[in-house]
Amino acid sequence: MKTAATVKKNRSRRSLSKTDRFTLATFVGIPTLLQIILLWVPAVVTIILSFTYWNGIRLKDIQWAGIQNYKNIFVNNPLFYQALKNNGIWLAFFVLIATPLGIMLAYQIDRGIKGHAFYESIYYLPVVLSLAVIGIIWNFMLQPGGFVQGLMGRDIGNAISIYGDPKINTWVILGIASWRHIGYIMLLYLSGLKSVDPALKEAAAIDGATEWQIFRKIILPTMQPVNIIIVVITLIESLRAFDLVYIIYGSPTIFPLLNLLVFQNFAGQGISMKGAAYAVILLLLCIVPIITYLRISFKEDLK
Amino acid sequence: MSEEKNVVSRRSVLKGAAIGGAALAAGGALSAESASAATRLKGSTVKWTTRGGGATGDKIAKAVNDAFTKKTGAKVVAQQVNSDDFQNNFAQIMQGSPDDAFGWMAGYRSNHFGEMGLLADLTREIGHLKSTLPTAAIKGATSPVTKKPYILPTTYYPWGLHYRKSMVKEIGMNPEKINNWDDFVKLMTLTQKKGLVGYSLGAKGGWEAMGTFDILNARVNGYKYHIDLLNGRAKWTDARTKETFKYFAQLIPFMNENVMDISWDGMRDLLLQKKTGAMMMGSWFANDFKAKSQADYDDLWVVPFPEINPKFGVDTIDAPLDGISVAANGKNVTGGKALAEFWASPEGIAEAVKAGDTNIYVSKSFDTSSYDAFNKQKLAVLASAKNIMFFLDRDARGDFAGPVVGPAIQSFIKKPSDINKILENVQAQWDALPKN
Repeated sequence: MKTAATVKKNRSRRSLSKTDRFTLATFVGIPTLLQIILLWVPAVVTIILSFTYWNGIRLKDIQWAGIQNYKNIFVNNPLFYQALKNNGIWLAFFVLIATPLGIMLAYQIDRGIKGHAFYESIYYLPVVLSLAVIGIIWNFMLQPGGFVQGLMGRDIGNAISIYGDPKINTWVILGIASWRHIGYIMLLYLSGLKSVDPALKEAAAIDGATEWQIFRKIILPTMQPVNIIIVVITLIESLRAFDLVYIIYGSPTIFPLLNLLVFQNFAGQGISMKGAAYAVILLLLCIVPIITYLRISFKEDLK
Repeated sequence: MSEEKNVVSRRSVLKGAAIGGAALAAGGALSAESASAATRLKGSTVKWTTRGGGATGDKIAKAVNDAFTKKTGAKVVAQQVNSDDFQNNFAQIMQGSPDDAFGWMAGYRSNHFGEMGLLADLTREIGHLKSTLPTAAIKGATSPVTKKPYILPTTYYPWGLHYRKSMVKEIGMNPEKINNWDDFVKLMTLTQKKGLVGYSLGAKGGWEAMGTFDILNARVNGYKYHIDLLNGRAKWTDARTKETFKYFAQLIPFMNENVMDISWDGMRDLLLQKKTGAMMMGSWFANDFKAKSQADYDDLWVVPFPEINPKFGVDTIDAPLDGISVAANGKNVTGGKALAEFWASPEGIAEAVKAGDTNIYVSKSFDTSSYDAFNKQKLAVLASAKNIMFFLDRDARGDFAGPVVGPAIQSFIKKPSDINKILENVQAQWDALPKN
């Protein structure tokens, strides 16, 4: 079996012409080179630096720190655990609520429910805005002295602590983030759904399958490639969250997220390699689940 | 032509720095050439960065820079940058191709980068200005490590207790006599009874509440203890530090309930809209009162934060000192130094004031006779203090103030009963910092 595969592979490689090979080398080589220079070299340097003390200025000042930066983060810094919790809630909320909602919306719109074009456009609208702009809009609405506070008859003196109170702000922030995420997922899924052969659905319906059965047994499996993209996007969007919260707060400490802590320890006067250590922790948190997931799904595909 | 020369000189400077191992050598090498400096200045280009300030900032910069051009024949190319971005990327900008001279901040922010060789040594320039500058300002601009100045001091502003005279009168108190802790608590209590905020505070940005902590600690434990604490010579877990937080905790019941939602501008608005009794802040926002109406401005008042411990009285104040620094890696270091000196000189100050600068200059040449009542009071507040602090995030190292102390004060305001745990944590994070 294995040898057959190798033979097949070899044959296909031999059949490449010179031009093909050149094109391939260019198309694969240049991006790979850029990837190595712009991504992997800095990543490796960051990993090394995370084991040092350095203020980012003179190379000669670098001191070996061993695991001290990590120890400091894990043992002494309460912000780290708050950030981990916030990123965790963000991820759970996206996985369990926002993403499924986006998929459901896409499915309904694809079925052509009444007014689907209207729904499609209102859910899609926030997607054209960057998260920074979304942050500005919602900050303007909900901050003390903001529009919504005004509607509730509150001035700055007695404004409800929407962004400051940890019992409220998590859900407000997640709501705002989902406002965009749902539309994004809907759009991705919708484009996938358009390519599903309607005959499959019709056949299932004739066989007496319910809506739910059609969705689970027909749509989801045929949409496997899109599903992979959506899972990866949901994971990354949740873990790399930064801009929305940074724009709203301007500081990383009231609603800490891992990325905000990376930034805080890299920016301004406070440059320390604790920032690098945070970045490495974040990298591991992103990469491990994604690689695991991709391996599982590709293995299933091969079967 | 002369620009070319500057490029060459910059290269030789860099080479010298590489050989000598310290970019500080650059300062020395250049001052040796100072005899020809004036001739080399003529026709050269100096780059200037204005840090924020909008249209007024640009107008002031243009007035001063034009006067410099007229005097020396050197051309000045100016740009305005976003203050926060400039600050956040400062180390990277200084290591790239920075503008030659720019407005900057004294304290840790200039000392640290000067010690790292990114800011030029201004010993010679501060020597020229010596007769016009108070000793305290020169001391404030000088690094305690290298004993060299990396900034030419220009302006400063007091952090004081701000309130509205009319509101204090309304509750039956004398606005000229808010002197000690009891007066202060009475003011807050009576204001709160009227359904208003007793003491307004914002902590959204993480730095605003540092002003309250600074002054409480200086009032309770004195200037020396405070500076020792910020530099690791005293402990955060010390009973004296805890005593300061006991006073801080007394303020919390008087505060607005949305401390974490507002920043300094929210505090300003609370006072502007007559919704708060008092607040501790830098006086820079007074112009916004003036912009609203002259009546609002006339109503605004500032006093030194009230006395707590009679041993220290009101002998200390937070008065951040600003000034002009010169990039060691600029293309025209000679020109940058000359421009910086001009900005800090009586001539430059006169131009800035004429163009509408309302800042208080430290220079003895600075004429305050035409000052209005509020500005005179600001000067009085400054004069009342023997010791000048620069504000927590300039008095303490950058990898400690922002990332550690700021969030600790926020957690304390959210849950004052956690103070012991919070302070233990701050101390542990100080202990974990790399020491040289």
